[in-house]
Amino acid sequence: MIDLPTLLFWIVAIILVGSALLVVGMRNIVHSALSLVVLFAMAAGIYLLANAEFIAIVQILIYAGAVTILILFALMLTRTPNLRTNSNPTNRQWLAALLICAILAASIIFAISLGQYSTAHPGTGFSFGPYGTNACPLPPNNVAYIGQLLYSPTCYSYVLPFEIASVVLLVAIVGAIVIGREE
Amino acid sequence: MLTLNHFLILGAILFCIGLFGAISKRNAIAVLMGIEIMLNAVNITMVGFSFFNKVKPYSTYLTGQIFAIFIITVAAAEAAVALAMIIAIYRKRNTVDVGEINLMKW
Amino acid sequence: MGLYQYSWLILFSPLFSFVVIIFGTRMWDLATRRQVNATASAGDHAHAHSEGEGDENTHYIETTGPHGEHEVLEDDEDPKVPRLTLGAKMSGYVSILIVALACIYSWIILFNQTGLISIAPRMPTSGIQVLAYDWLSGSQGTPPYTIAYHLDNLGIAMMVVVTTVSLLVQFYSQGYMENSAGYARFFSYLSLFTFSMLDIVFAQNFLVIFIGWELVGLSSYLLIGFWINKTAKPEQDRPAPATAAIQAFIANRVGDVGFIIGIMILFTNTGTFDFATLSSPTDPHGVAHVFAGNTGLLTLAMILVFCGAIGKSAQIPLTIWLPTAMEGPTPVSALIHAATMVAAGVYMVARTFPLFSAADPLALQVVAWVGAITALYAALTALTQTDFKRVLAFSTISQLGYMFVGLGVAYHTDIGVGAGMFHLFTHAFFKALLFLGAGSVIHSLHHATHQEVQDMRKMGGLGPHMPITAITWLIATLAISGFPFFSGFYSKDNIIGLTFEHGDYGLYIITLGTAGLTAFYMLRAFILAFGGKGGRFGGLWGGPYRGEGDPHESPRTITIPLIILAIASIFAGYWTGFFGFVQPGAPSLNIGTVLSDPLTWIGVLVSFIGLGWAFVLYTRFDLATINNVVQNNAVLRFLYYLTLRKFYIDDLYDLLIRYVVFGVCHIAAAFDTYVVDGIVNGVAAAVTDFGRGVRHIETGKVQTYMVGFFGGVAILAILVFALVTFVK
Repeated sequence: MIDLPTLLFWIVAIILVGSALLVVGMRNIVHSALSLVVLFAMAAGIYLLANAEFIAIVQILIYAGAVTILILFALMLTRTPNLRTNSNPTNRQWLAALLICAILAASIIFAISLGQYSTAHPGTGFSFGPYGTNACPLPPNNVAYIGQLLYSPTCYSYVLPFEIASVVLLVAIVGAIVIGREE
Repeated sequence: MLTLNHFLILGAILFCIGLFGAISKRNAIAVLMGIEIMLNAVNITMVGFSFFNKVKPYSTYLTGQIFAIFIITVAAAEAAVALAMIIAIYRKRNTVDVGEINLMKW
Repeated sequence: MGLYQYSWLILFSPLFSFVVIIFGTRMWDLATRRQVNATASAGDHAHAHSEGEGDENTHYIETTGPHGEHEVLEDDEDPKVPRLTLGAKMSGYVSILIVALACIYSWIILFNQTGLISIAPRMPTSGIQVLAYDWLSGSQGTPPYTIAYHLDNLGIAMMVVVTTVSLLVQFYSQGYMENSAGYARFFSYLSLFTFSMLDIVFAQNFLVIFIGWELVGLSSYLLIGFWINKTAKPEQDRPAPATAAIQAFIANRVGDVGFIIGIMILFTNTGTFDFATLSSPTDPHGVAHVFAGNTGLLTLAMILVFCGAIGKSAQIPLTIWLPTAMEGPTPVSALIHAATMVAAGVYMVARTFPLFSAADPLALQVVAWVGAITALYAALTALTQTDFKRVLAFSTISQLGYMFVGLGVAYHTDIGVGAGMFHLFTHAFFKALLFLGAGSVIHSLHHATHQEVQDMRKMGGLGPHMPITAITWLIATLAISGFPFFSGFYSKDNIIGLTFEHGDYGLYIITLGTAGLTAFYMLRAFILAFGGKGGRFGGLWGGPYRGEGDPHESPRTITIPLIILAIASIFAGYWTGFFGFVQPGAPSLNIGTVLSDPLTWIGVLVSFIGLGWAFVLYTRFDLATINNVVQNNAVLRFLYYLTLRKFYIDDLYDLLIRYVVFGVCHIAAAFDTYVVDGIVNGVAAAVTDFGRGVRHIETGKVQTYMVGFFGGVAILAILVFALVTFVK
């Protein structure tokens, strides 16, 4: 008997894969972009099913919001001829690409089916202070947990990658402006 | 019963669809969309791993999600820069066909 | 023994003279030479170049002498200088002085060894070693590569001949090569040649004799091609001296191939090159021991060694180079191609005679028959030649054939090498005399007509104009014809008698007939040059002169050697102990026996027939009449052209070389161009074409590269799948 999470998962997954196929297959590129929005939304649904609420919201905000608008602006600024009929053509190697992707998918799935997931203890590792103490309270929900993992100075955290990510964003901003400005 | 395999297989299929789009599309923005699909597939895989994580230390419980955050961050940055480049090339060449961008040809 | 021990001085003194001339006096000559400029003379000569009369190749150069007088010099493609510098003259004097000293020393050694004088104890007949130097040592303690020189009776006899003729020729060259620009160079080459020939004479093993062999070939090349600028005259069928020099060298080399192979066969089987070791009947390395049951291989080796003598002595089939070698100056022809170098082949066979004796009789039979056939061929060809020196060249070839016959019929007889060497000894003198006399005639006609005249049809009746030359030439002609009591009579008839005694009646008939032919063509040459219809003594002396100008006798430097050689031609035959001298145990020449033998008188009769027929023909009729008769009769005409064209051997070789040798060359060249270069260039072209094809991979499009990338991943994935499922 199928249970609710599994059912929901299947529905979302089918819509997800369908919209992905539409993104790749549509002749009108704006239709592809719109299908991409659906894809992002369904991905957020998957995250919700995996108890990753924060990631789901961030997905909607960033991807379905900003990235989609970005893509649509780019489509506007780069007007292609034949928008309706053939603004999203395929090139000559689509058959080879199809073959490659099929084989890759098959092989990854095959590898997945062979896999045995380790449940062993990875060792004591290290912790920047044990959880459950005053310095490191147990996080009550997913958002607080992620916040703790990103920012905390007293617990184990990924502060340094966070700072580097911000530098990356800065560089990306500056770069996009420089590349994209009119002469 | 939802198992890890569901997430992984879903991620694999999406990745390959995105790869197909990236390889076989002529419009540069379509290629970019394919890349976004690939990144999303990877995110799904990461989150799936974090959901089914049985590893003991508490700190590693959400590694997948942190990874997904950073991937989203970098993906956004990369999309911005890529689109800026596409617009710049469009201004110069009046085309967004990646088949035309072949100065490195023999 | 000290007298003989220092005989290496004879060997090396000409080399010393060569070095002195090349690095000393010739440099001096070149540095002090006055520039004779044909186009610019001092002041008042508006033109400096005028055409000579008649021959378009003769030019005059008008220039001023050292005292301002007007001089006219001939420049017949031999550049002349108006006056020899002191350096040039010193070159001549150095060379002549050193050779004179060597000659005197060698005569002293000869007289001491024969017992005529006695200033030192005589050396044993097996000889002594004069100089030895280990070049490379073998590994077993026996050094096979030694430069060793020794002197024995045979060597003494040859050494005397070489130094004497060399001295006379060098003395003669002072007059013949006067005012030549290459005077010093000529004497240096003559010294080099003398050294090379003495190296052959003194050699104790095959290596040293081969060194000398090649050096005389080199000297011959340098001397034949001495007149560098002289061109070919195809209308007279005369090649350029440079071409003739190359032909001589190559023909020699062709013979040397056989020589080297023969030496190698001997060496690999016996392990030594040394003549004494090889010849000794008891030594374990000697051929008698090594080839005891297997004389077939030794015979083959000795026949191959004889091939070298064929090349050097111009026997069939390598006679081609000697007639064209006459393009060189006449002293060169006298020294090299009459008396010494061509005799080196005979000397070598004599030196290795014990090896020939130890082989099958076949080896010496080959020697004898090659000699006989060559003698006949050359005599027939000489009958119709019109070039003065060509007749003498063929005569040399013929007499060399006689020497080989003499060596060939001496298989297991007492006389051994005696007969052939005796003929070599006497032949050297009268042949050198014949050539020097011819040179004298050519020299004086050159002065008279300002052209180089060698055609006998342009001579005639020169007897009264050049008495000394004519008389000495007549003496030499009689000697070579075997006229009784001249030297040739004793040596040549000895060989003819030997063939009869040995039972080779075929050889006997051939040699007898050739003697008659020899007499005929030699007297023909004499009458055509010095006599003619209407002269004294029945046409033998004087008569109509068919050329131009007013010839006169040559200077003393030319005629003195002629007189000396004439005396030697008469009296050299009277050394009766020669046979015993060179071959221990040979019987001496008994003149009484010779005169009483009926065979001797048969030979004399045949040569008288030849002399008489020539006398009758050429003193009664003039050349035009004889020519008419020959041209009108088909048989005579056929024979005439056959012998004139040297039995078409030259043409045969020309075809052979042009089509066979050059054909192979063209095939090899084509192979080189198409196969070898094809492979090399093909590899390069393949790489280039491959690159040209492969570069299409770089399309410049990222998506193409992605296909490659992920395609590789896909292939690896399939591989992993296969490995995982099928290899557990």
